[in-house]
Amino acid sequence: MQKAKAIMGLMACSALVAAPESALAADWGDHSGVTIEAKLIGGQQYEGLYGRIAEWEAATGATVKIISKKSHFEIDKEIKSDMAAGTTNWCVGSNHSSFAPQYEGLYADLNDLVPADVVAEFVQGNIGASTVGGELLMLPRAQFDVSVLYYLKSNYEDADKAAAFKTEYGYDLAVPETWAQMKDQSIFFADPPNFYGTQYAGKDEAIVGRFYEMVVAEGGNYLDENKKPIFNSDAGQRALQWFVDLYDAKAVPAGTTSYVWDDLGQGFASGTVALNLDWPGWAGFFNDPESSKAAGNVGVAVQPMGSVTRTGWSGHHGFSVTNDCANKEAAASLVMFLTSEESQLAESAGGSLPTRSAVWEANVAAAKAGDDPFRAEALEAFAEGAKYAFAVPPIPEWGESTNIVFPELQAAIVGDKSVKEALDDAAEAVDELMRESGYY
Amino acid sequence: MTRRRLPEWFVLLLPAIIVIAAVVLIPLLFSLYSSFTPYKLTRPSTLWKWVGTYNYEKILSDAKFWAAFGRTVLFLTIVLNLELLLGLGIALMMNKVTWGQRTLRTILMFPMMFSPILVGFQFKFIFNDNIGLVNNVLQSMGFDAALPWLVDGKLAMFSIMFAEIWMSTSVFAILILAGLFAMPRDPLEAAKVDGCTPWQSFRHITLPFLMPFIYIAMTIRSLDVARAYDIVQIMTGGGPARRTELLWTLMSRTGYVDARMGLANAMGYVSIILSILFTIYFFRKLSAARAELGMAG
Repeated sequence: MQKAKAIMGLMACSALVAAPESALAADWGDHSGVTIEAKLIGGQQYEGLYGRIAEWEAATGATVKIISKKSHFEIDKEIKSDMAAGTTNWCVGSNHSSFAPQYEGLYADLNDLVPADVVAEFVQGNIGASTVGGELLMLPRAQFDVSVLYYLKSNYEDADKAAAFKTEYGYDLAVPETWAQMKDQSIFFADPPNFYGTQYAGKDEAIVGRFYEMVVAEGGNYLDENKKPIFNSDAGQRALQWFVDLYDAKAVPAGTTSYVWDDLGQGFASGTVALNLDWPGWAGFFNDPESSKAAGNVGVAVQPMGSVTRTGWSGHHGFSVTNDCANKEAAASLVMFLTSEESQLAESAGGSLPTRSAVWEANVAAAKAGDDPFRAEALEAFAEGAKYAFAVPPIPEWGESTNIVFPELQAAIVGDKSVKEALDDAAEAVDELMRESGYY
Repeated sequence: MTRRRLPEWFVLLLPAIIVIAAVVLIPLLFSLYSSFTPYKLTRPSTLWKWVGTYNYEKILSDAKFWAAFGRTVLFLTIVLNLELLLGLGIALMMNKVTWGQRTLRTILMFPMMFSPILVGFQFKFIFNDNIGLVNNVLQSMGFDAALPWLVDGKLAMFSIMFAEIWMSTSVFAILILAGLFAMPRDPLEAAKVDGCTPWQSFRHITLPFLMPFIYIAMTIRSLDVARAYDIVQIMTGGGPARRTELLWTLMSRTGYVDARMGLANAMGYVSIILSILFTIYFFRKLSAARAELGMAG
């Protein structure tokens, strides 16, 4: 193991020295004859990076065999089936910060396989969110997500609207800085069923993630340090009330409780939604006249604040090495290659956000020097938004708890229960789950 | 010393027994066993931990499970009866068609050929409150509101029932049409000569003759209707606020998303009661209908 570390350290040094050069020039080690089986997330936005694998194969003499390529939810099910069947001797797997804690014992601690100075080149918040129980379970790729506020600029350029808003709410109409302002403006802009103030994801992990970040922004938390649910606190009730008030005021589409990411993206692109908290990956889509009626009218701002801090539920993709892999060193070399500075520069050129500090700086500098003011505005908002990013609680039960909580949030939103009843019921059920899982 | 030989009938049946054991019996016994464990897909070692009837006790005292159970019974009852009525109507009309009936029969089967997932997406779009077809038609007719088809409890159940009925009514229509084709003409002609009205002929001759076909269709569909899982999962996912949660969406979320396969299997075994009850009920009705026609034996 020590020898492997030394080799990796040497490789990393070589990689640092050769950073501006092409990937071929970097030393990824000699792994001639080795075949690495990989299970990767598929999809158009992810394919560009896989095109670079041939370079790693040429540099190392190894071969990469992609044995599965599916959406993240499908890969997740397949990996769980592999764990149940004990067929986990493939080597590299796509991973996500929200999924990683579930796969107990599947993935190796990369602290043993990747030199510390390579790890240090990543944004440390991303490394923190990739670490579960002290083990670094994945290296982050350039697919980092934190939501920012997209808005229709025309709403803020209309003097009559500004005057009417000031008369009604007593303050100037400007892009919202706080969630309270966003609620006011969403209600003000709404003209259902033709135009809505905002919208939110209304089911599955999507709404619980949004609720979770709002609870944190209100000064509360989802779980305490003993993993006991505390989201039914005053902060939690204030957070959920925000969703309920918008729904009651018809400032969001009535179907918002069945929406997830695609519905939200298409909704804002239809030009019928004034304010939309959404992921960075949509920026290009929203401002493309081919795909969006809002193109040319889209502004991007940092996400609003709760009464204590800004929201910042974030997640990122990454690559992991299995414990059962026969050639962990070669697998780790592939993972380092896929997350290297060159790979991240290439992948983030497509619009996704990097997880390496140097690549962030390079992208922001390039956007400022370029001739696309929208891209520069968006990247500035993303960079600012990333400062407030935080991941979900790193426990295997996160996903299962969201399945308990989301129907209760919906019950409050559609009026089946009061905010307090819904949160108390959800907290009681999550408490039972945590007890069953042996936390206390 | 004579070698003991297995009986011939057993040897001949052995391949079938092995196949049935491999694909039916062993998975069935395995899932039954795992329903007495806290088996989690992500923690294979939990398969060997025996927790007795814990999962069953948890389910039987869980109001959410019973709400889903009741909703599933309601869903089955309404869907099967409406499919029967519509299928019967379509079959009777088809039976009157004298030209192009084969083409019509083929067209009738189109909805059955769609994958349930596709049907789910199709109706999810049609019933979307913002950009959906139904609301756009209503708004163009001057109805100034966006009906929350997939959100309101009653409308959402209506929407998924509509999709399910659209897809599967033709099963009833085809089976009942087969019954109509097999029906002897003599009793109907005799009834006509005796001065029976069309309604009397239908009520006292056609319908009793069709009842065995109807009950066979009912039995097949009551077991097959679980295919509606895809439609419900895609259109509403069981929500919002569990308003359209059926046993199938609840079980699949517990088993595959939460990875709690032991608990999901226990739910499966409790819900089998539902299928058995429906099957027994329809078979009894089938025997009674056959007895009425003098076909019992």
